[in-house]
Amino acid sequence: MEVNEHEAILRPLEHTGRKFYVLIAFLLAVIGWGIFAYFRQLRLGLGVTGMNRPVFWGVYITNFVFFIGLSHAGTLVSAILRILGAEWRRPFTRLAEAVTVFSLPFGAGSILIDLGRIDRIGQVLLHARFESPILWDVTAVSTYLISSVIFFYLALIPDVALLRDRYAHAPGWRRRLYEVLAVGWTGTAAQNRRLEGIMGWFAIYLSLLVVTVHTVVSWIFGMTIVPGWHTAIIGPYFLVGAIFSGVAAVGVVAAVLRRVLGLQRYITPRHFNYLGQFLAALAIAWFYFTFAEVLTTVYGSEPAHLAVFFAKFREEFSWAFFAMFFFCFLLPLPILAWKRTRTIFGVTLAGLSINLGMWLERYTVIVPSLSRPRLPYEWGTYSPTWIEWSITAACFAGFFLLYTLFAKLFPVVSIWELHEEAPEPSGVREPAGAEAPSP
Amino acid sequence: MARWAMVIDLDKCIGCQSCTAACRAENNVPFAGPEQSELGRAAFWNEVLFEIRGEYPHVEARIIPRPCFHCENPPCVKVCPVGATYQREDGLVLQRYERCIGCRYCTVACPYGVRYFQWFEAEWPEGMDRYQNPDVPLRPKGIVDKCTFCVHRLDEGLPIPACNQACPTGARYFGDLDDPTSEVSELARGPRAMQLLEHLGTDPHCFYLEEGA
Amino acid sequence: MAKLSRRAFLTLTGAGALGAGLQSLDAKPRLLRALTPEEQVAAQEREDTWRVTICQQCQAGCGILVRVVDGRAVKIDGNPLHPISSGKICPKAQAGLQVLYDPDRIKGPMRRVGARGEGRWEQVSWEQAIDEVVGKLGELRSEGQSHSVVFLAGRVLGQMQGLLKRFCDAYGTPNYVTHNSLSASATEIAHWLTQGQRQFYGYDWENTSYLLSFGVSVVEAWRPTVRNAAAYGFMRRGRPGDRFRMVQVEPRFSITAIKADEWVPIRPGTDAALALGIAYVLITEQLYDDDFLSEHAFGFEDWTDDDGTLHMGFRTLVLRDYPPNQVEAITGVPAETIVRLAREFASSAPAVAVGDRGISMWSNGVYNQMAVDALNALVGSIDTPGGVLTDRAAPFFPWPQLAPDTVAEEGRAQARADFAGTRQYPLADEVYQQLPKSIIDDVPYPVNALFLYYTNPLFSTPQVRDVYQAFEKLPFIVSFSPFLDDSSSYADLILPDHTYLERLHDVSPPPGLGYPVVGLGQPVVAPLYDTMHTGDVLLQIAHRLGETVSQSFPWASFAEVVQYRVGGLWRSETGDITTTEYEFFWEEFSRRGVWVDASYRFGDWDRVMATPSGRFEFYSQTLRDELTRLSDGELDGLLNELRIEVRGDEVYLPHYEPAGQMGDDQEFPFFLNTYKLMAHAEGRGANLPHLQEMLGLHVHRQWESWLEINPGVARYLGIAEGDWVWVESPIGERLKVRAALYPGARPDVLCIPFELGHRAYGRWAKDRGVNPNWLIANQTTPLTGSWEPFATRVKIYKA
Repeated sequence: MEVNEHEAILRPLEHTGRKFYVLIAFLLAVIGWGIFAYFRQLRLGLGVTGMNRPVFWGVYITNFVFFIGLSHAGTLVSAILRILGAEWRRPFTRLAEAVTVFSLPFGAGSILIDLGRIDRIGQVLLHARFESPILWDVTAVSTYLISSVIFFYLALIPDVALLRDRYAHAPGWRRRLYEVLAVGWTGTAAQNRRLEGIMGWFAIYLSLLVVTVHTVVSWIFGMTIVPGWHTAIIGPYFLVGAIFSGVAAVGVVAAVLRRVLGLQRYITPRHFNYLGQFLAALAIAWFYFTFAEVLTTVYGSEPAHLAVFFAKFREEFSWAFFAMFFFCFLLPLPILAWKRTRTIFGVTLAGLSINLGMWLERYTVIVPSLSRPRLPYEWGTYSPTWIEWSITAACFAGFFLLYTLFAKLFPVVSIWELHEEAPEPSGVREPAGAEAPSP
Repeated sequence: MARWAMVIDLDKCIGCQSCTAACRAENNVPFAGPEQSELGRAAFWNEVLFEIRGEYPHVEARIIPRPCFHCENPPCVKVCPVGATYQREDGLVLQRYERCIGCRYCTVACPYGVRYFQWFEAEWPEGMDRYQNPDVPLRPKGIVDKCTFCVHRLDEGLPIPACNQACPTGARYFGDLDDPTSEVSELARGPRAMQLLEHLGTDPHCFYLEEGA
Repeated sequence: MAKLSRRAFLTLTGAGALGAGLQSLDAKPRLLRALTPEEQVAAQEREDTWRVTICQQCQAGCGILVRVVDGRAVKIDGNPLHPISSGKICPKAQAGLQVLYDPDRIKGPMRRVGARGEGRWEQVSWEQAIDEVVGKLGELRSEGQSHSVVFLAGRVLGQMQGLLKRFCDAYGTPNYVTHNSLSASATEIAHWLTQGQRQFYGYDWENTSYLLSFGVSVVEAWRPTVRNAAAYGFMRRGRPGDRFRMVQVEPRFSITAIKADEWVPIRPGTDAALALGIAYVLITEQLYDDDFLSEHAFGFEDWTDDDGTLHMGFRTLVLRDYPPNQVEAITGVPAETIVRLAREFASSAPAVAVGDRGISMWSNGVYNQMAVDALNALVGSIDTPGGVLTDRAAPFFPWPQLAPDTVAEEGRAQARADFAGTRQYPLADEVYQQLPKSIIDDVPYPVNALFLYYTNPLFSTPQVRDVYQAFEKLPFIVSFSPFLDDSSSYADLILPDHTYLERLHDVSPPPGLGYPVVGLGQPVVAPLYDTMHTGDVLLQIAHRLGETVSQSFPWASFAEVVQYRVGGLWRSETGDITTTEYEFFWEEFSRRGVWVDASYRFGDWDRVMATPSGRFEFYSQTLRDELTRLSDGELDGLLNELRIEVRGDEVYLPHYEPAGQMGDDQEFPFFLNTYKLMAHAEGRGANLPHLQEMLGLHVHRQWESWLEINPGVARYLGIAEGDWVWVESPIGERLKVRAALYPGARPDVLCIPFELGHRAYGRWAKDRGVNPNWLIANQTTPLTGSWEPFATRVKIYKA
């Protein structure tokens, strides 16, 4: 196949419309406002948030879990589906990995934003205590981040080389950027084999790693004896939830990019059909875990746990609880379960709904439990302030900004992996861009 | 090595909150003010808990003064990522203010809610910093603090926390649990003794003596 | 472990911060300042000592020790040598540091600029301020108007009582008015009528086995607070095998009721009926102490007087009118409970019944109190171990004889502006709340000058709006308050007193132990501002007034006054300090901070029963004599004026008659109860953040007022927890307050705590909460001159 056939994929790299600048400006404004809010928090103290006693964790920790959850998208699509040999994954791999790579920093960042003394972050290295689940988390997330970046980069190399060659005469920094990042890739068979080999092992490694990441995140809660947190099921529950929100996010991102960047040729309704089915299965799995949690709690009727449940079910957090259920399950499942509605629009709508629902799910896991401590004398409630919302908005804007910049500089669909779809029986790879030799 | 513990006789406690006031004065715990109190951010290292149950006229109430319990198996120490919260050999669970990163994991992990966070820089309105106790460090914003069993007094050879000293009914006792002759060890092994949330296995170093005969 | 010096602390906080750019968080903290080398040296030889003084947050006068570091007071603890506190204290005492260091304190004498209440002041010197007062007082004196000067004194402690009274006598005004009529004067009067003791009683708690409390906040706010708290702890657990039994008879489930073994939720104002119902059972079942009654009681049986007239006795009255089922109808307390309580009371010797402000400050209050006191007589627990003790006054050296001049004598002979002791208020020594009315109506004469000492009438008087009106009329108002409170902010001149940690001031606790105790309050720090002890101010004023006024005060300072009077303690050779020379006595007295004569001799009946009969008078001859004297032969008319319903012998016996209420119970369905908390500081605590932050323990409220309401009633009215509610009273006033649903509230009783609702008094008190006094009518019981704080009914509706 000729490179020219992938004009659609490469057009965004070459043409920049006004809308791009408007978008960037808007995102920068939101981020700027968030930074202002954060500096206010830094100057005055965490008292500017709505956190209090007993709700010591709120929106920031919710964001932390949410963004880490989002990050499971990439690994699932590019690593796990790769291992499973699901061919339909190909157009999605890079855009999914990008979700991972760009959401993880905001996950980790949210924790840092939540700290009372971010200036003492060095203490974590100086005096690390591995008995604390936070250190497990630091280890797992940083490992995952580094590994994901490497994996992402590896998968990027052949396309960067393509860009290096294509834009060999382009001005200045972009050419240098591609040159540097291409690390001398020439697309030889040996190189391809090595890359395939490394990526194969990486895929396995990442698939195992991803299981630990969100499990470990969940254990920050699960290892305490806070009612509502201390359940054995929390590991798998969070993991399924993460994959759920991650895949949903991939669906949304794919649909948006498809429309904005004109990728209709590569990302088809058939892909969304498969994605949608996968998402439906995840929704059911999510429901299973949720139902098991609720039933166990209510049936057991332990006072401390019931108090938390009622806070969610009929007291001040019931709006979040029922909204979560609606957005995670009631709205998306019918859309995803029927082929008729499992269109690109349907899957996108379901994906947005699921992400909103999953953010609320994190919120309803964290906040109500804290608001109903074991000793009834100390109950309280929580109402986030504009500082927290501003910083949350800035995190999302930051994610979108990084993504947008990425999409401006690199193809969001992995060109070289598209070509892998049907490998030659001889096992000899044609380098991308070269004339196919006559047999 | 002593094992410090406190015993509070709920039959004698009258909920006067003298302990709360004494603790605040001794440990430089700033007042939160009306807006912050409304948000639930008032810090009381020793706090008197109150719960009323029943319907008029068959009502009963519980009044429970609650310091930090300095548990034998402290859930807070386990989860601190930097070891700012640590347990001393003599049983005290203390805080290294200079190391705390303010993640509030310990605060969340404590089932008794004894920990407090400095939400803002403490305010000492004009001249009120004059009554700060020089023996107790002031805490900057962004870190967690809590009752220390008045460790500064303990380590100077005065094993009576400020709360105990102030209590007008004599409801509070403090001493070495490992000393079989101490009042505290006798009372802690007595028939009226109990611990809060005993089933959690935290083994608090604070025992309550039940009301009634 | 070495003390953590400030320098070390800073070093530690600076270390380990890898985020270099963010070190600014620690670089310039406002609070943590590195010591300069000079300061470091000074720190080695830093002054760090404990000084002895007396807490003056309430009248209990607990001995305290104050830790002073480099001239700063940093901690307050109890003085182990003082028998009231015995080394312990209450939370108000701790907040004393905030009294001293209140940033809104008045820093020197001030004169008003502009209109009253505008809040503009100019600093003046003491010289100028005292000159102005002397000028004004001298002018009034020379015009023969000395009697038109009123001294309002609230929490007057120690020798200031005598000094102020003496000043009024020497100057020539009868108007030394204390606040007892707002507080619990009817209790003291009832004690006077039955036992001849116009004071509160002490109790031998250490031996009591049963306490029947009628509305007394025993463990919260009953002077002397710390003494009662300590006694409670001892009674519960200090005597193995005897946990004593406490029964709390009260309309609300107070902390005392919570700690009691039984709570009896009585209908407000009906305590006499309950007490007499119990008496009924004691009499019919012959559970009373026969010996005591025959030897030390008068009027139990019917008796004949010298004229041969037969008079009804206590027994006859009780048996006639107070069988338990009738009492049940009046009080709401089931008859079985009444019977059981009576039997318990009689069989648990020593058993004591107590009552105070809660039962006595009603129109029927003096009888409520007499009925409760009668119970103690019935079981013989007066002047016995575990029973009621009668306090002995401390043997102060007597004041020198006063030699007033004609102006003074004429002035003193004038009627009191509060009509105390007249036909209007026969038994009263003072009627504080009459003054606003007198001032507004210019009766018996216009008031030309008002002096405010330790009192805040624009806050503490009922029907506050009228007091503002009265203040408008007054030409000259002087306050000695160290704080710009509601009243001092309406003054013309402020001569600020020291706060108690800065001054020498003796304090004799109220009766509680039954024996005399004198505490010496001493300055623990140098005065922070340009303030002066009001005693010294008064002496200076007196001296400058010259002539007989000046001669009446042969002391240069208040300290000299105290030393003069305390000389009597030394001379009496009683108590725990006996020395050969007075100066050694004074040294020891200063060192200990207290003098105690801890001896009580039981059986001193002449002293204990100071009545006409020398016995406990069920039938109060004192009351009969007073009313006879005032009635001038027209007893019926007088009783009508006094709004006493009963006639004949019943007037002088404890009995129940319904309490007068303002507002009909259809339109105003609720009683309004105002009460005091341990963290309450007598209305002076609203400027103390520590107390504000822990005020409402049982309703989980801080920094604001609340309305305690029964949850069922609230639900019925559609009021949820925290809802704003209007509370309106028949005098046309209403207040907005947040509801606190409290299961311990009687359905017909609403409670708003006293303490908040100031319009001035510093940043933490100003415009915070509501003052229920605005709602409460200025209704006074004529017989005793006592205010009726619980007589105003109210209605509520959602805001």
